[in-house]
Amino acid sequence: MRYLILMAGVLAAGFGLSSPYQIQLLTFIGINSLLALGLNMLMGYAGQISLGHAAFFGLGAYVTGVLTAHFHWSPWLALPVAILLTAAAAFLIALPLLELSGFYLGMGTLGFGMIGYVVFRQWSSLTGGDSGLVGIPSLELGPLSFADAKNYLFLVWAVALLCIFLCDRLIHSRIGRALRAIHDSERAASSMGIDTGRLKVHIFVLSAVMAAIAGFLYAHLVSFISPGSFDFLVSIRIVTMVVIGGMASVWGALLGASVMTILPETLTVFTEYEMIVYGLIMITIMIVIPQGLFRGILDIYERARFRTGSIPAGPQA
Amino acid sequence: MNAQGSGQEAFLPVLRLEEISRSFGGIQALNDVSFEVAPGAIHALIGPNGAGKTTLLNVITGSCPPDTGAAFLGDCRLNGRKPHERVSLGIARTFQNIELFGSMTVLENVLVGRHVKTRCGFFGAMAGLPGCSLEERKARQRAHELLDFVGLSEAADWRSTDLPFGWQRFLEIARALATGPKVLLLDEPASGLNPVETSTLCDLLRKIRENGVTLLLVEHDMNLVMEISDRVFVLNHGMKLADGTPCEIQANEAVISAYLGRERMGGKCSACAI
Repeated sequence: MRYLILMAGVLAAGFGLSSPYQIQLLTFIGINSLLALGLNMLMGYAGQISLGHAAFFGLGAYVTGVLTAHFHWSPWLALPVAILLTAAAAFLIALPLLELSGFYLGMGTLGFGMIGYVVFRQWSSLTGGDSGLVGIPSLELGPLSFADAKNYLFLVWAVALLCIFLCDRLIHSRIGRALRAIHDSERAASSMGIDTGRLKVHIFVLSAVMAAIAGFLYAHLVSFISPGSFDFLVSIRIVTMVVIGGMASVWGALLGASVMTILPETLTVFTEYEMIVYGLIMITIMIVIPQGLFRGILDIYERARFRTGSIPAGPQA
Repeated sequence: MNAQGSGQEAFLPVLRLEEISRSFGGIQALNDVSFEVAPGAIHALIGPNGAGKTTLLNVITGSCPPDTGAAFLGDCRLNGRKPHERVSLGIARTFQNIELFGSMTVLENVLVGRHVKTRCGFFGAMAGLPGCSLEERKARQRAHELLDFVGLSEAADWRSTDLPFGWQRFLEIARALATGPKVLLLDEPASGLNPVETSTLCDLLRKIRENGVTLLLVEHDMNLVMEISDRVFVLNHGMKLADGTPCEIQANEAVISAYLGRERMGGKCSACAI
């Protein structure tokens, strides 16, 4: 039901909007939603922080960029390669890193993000270094050209909706419960027979793959990528999307991505004070509704319902 | 709760520890401890603070590997197996400081316990395979039965941390039972419970035994221990001090001087008479 509403919304917006700026903004929201959703699976559900997600985003973008611009591959062939390479990288990184927890995991993933950024900058023979990689072709599927902004908008949102749908299913399954169990108490989770180490690696890989898909969509949208789009601040921005929208909520990821994409655009009226206003909004959200916008609204509703409910009797064996 | 094996197995110990030793730095937490747990009975592990009771539980669950010695579940050697593997073999536990999944409802907590009894993976869940939804329905049904069993069915949709303390204990037991254990380890199940809840716990533990699950509890409440245990092990300074029926333990001079104390003797005879 919610998917139908969202789909109708995207379709209406796609056909209703005429300004290229608004269409592009909506497309970016879709891409950012994918990033936030992926990180939310890792951070919000499994409780493992990653401050290096921009590296996976970049890996997806650069793999498809290099393969299509330098080697003239079809983007549809480059996509599985980008996904597989990112998954392999994430797997290798996750094995040692996920032994860490809390701040240490944060620092570890931060280090990985830095390495990614340096590689994108310094491997100039492939990535073009600081001057960037140009000439990434736009996507085409038979007679359908995604060079058209509206078509690309629909493509991005179709992918985003599919991912939201799949993640929603995953969360409401045995695996989703196990992930939340790890978040709540790793000790208790393993005493319930959950292989916590393995599951954390799996969700890290899934999260990275979603970032790579977002990177693929980003590269073919803008046709020019440079290391600056995948630096440390981008990682932080993805984390902020998750935190603002609300951890452990697929719809929160969507909301957080929307807020974090639209906010910097609308705040340009404040010009010089933009960052200050932006920071204040974040601080306010953290203090007033630390569980995030989406969860915060939902909690108020649930609490109201709970008060009217009856109180059951105690355990009687 | 698995049905216990046939009659001929009844004499084989369900859990066996052989010469377990474990030290932390210079402290010898366990020193050459051996004991056997008979199937379908309630066993208690008692001893003064620092005697090594919790370490022994951790050796059994696998979170603390022993320096020397071996542990067996039935004929299966446990050494080298990770904690989560031991759960699927049939060892479940509860914690002294309750460790529920706070973000989940009461029902979901029990459902996590069904993890080892279900198979659905990442792709199955995402694809919504019919096998997965069938499995999920069965798991839910079982979870409801278990909540019924411990008397928490009406609180199924509560957030687990909203439960009063005593009920959280019962939920932890239901969650542990959901893994379908052969042996259930309870770390101080009665601590923090009021007398009414303790007697409910007593009845519950007996019901669990009737279902064929072997119980091993670490407990300080001597009234509870002496009332429900079929067999009592006493640890002191990491060594086995005594092993016997509650009556034998209460008459054991070494146990009295090390742990029970002389003044407790008078009150205990009534429990013994049952």
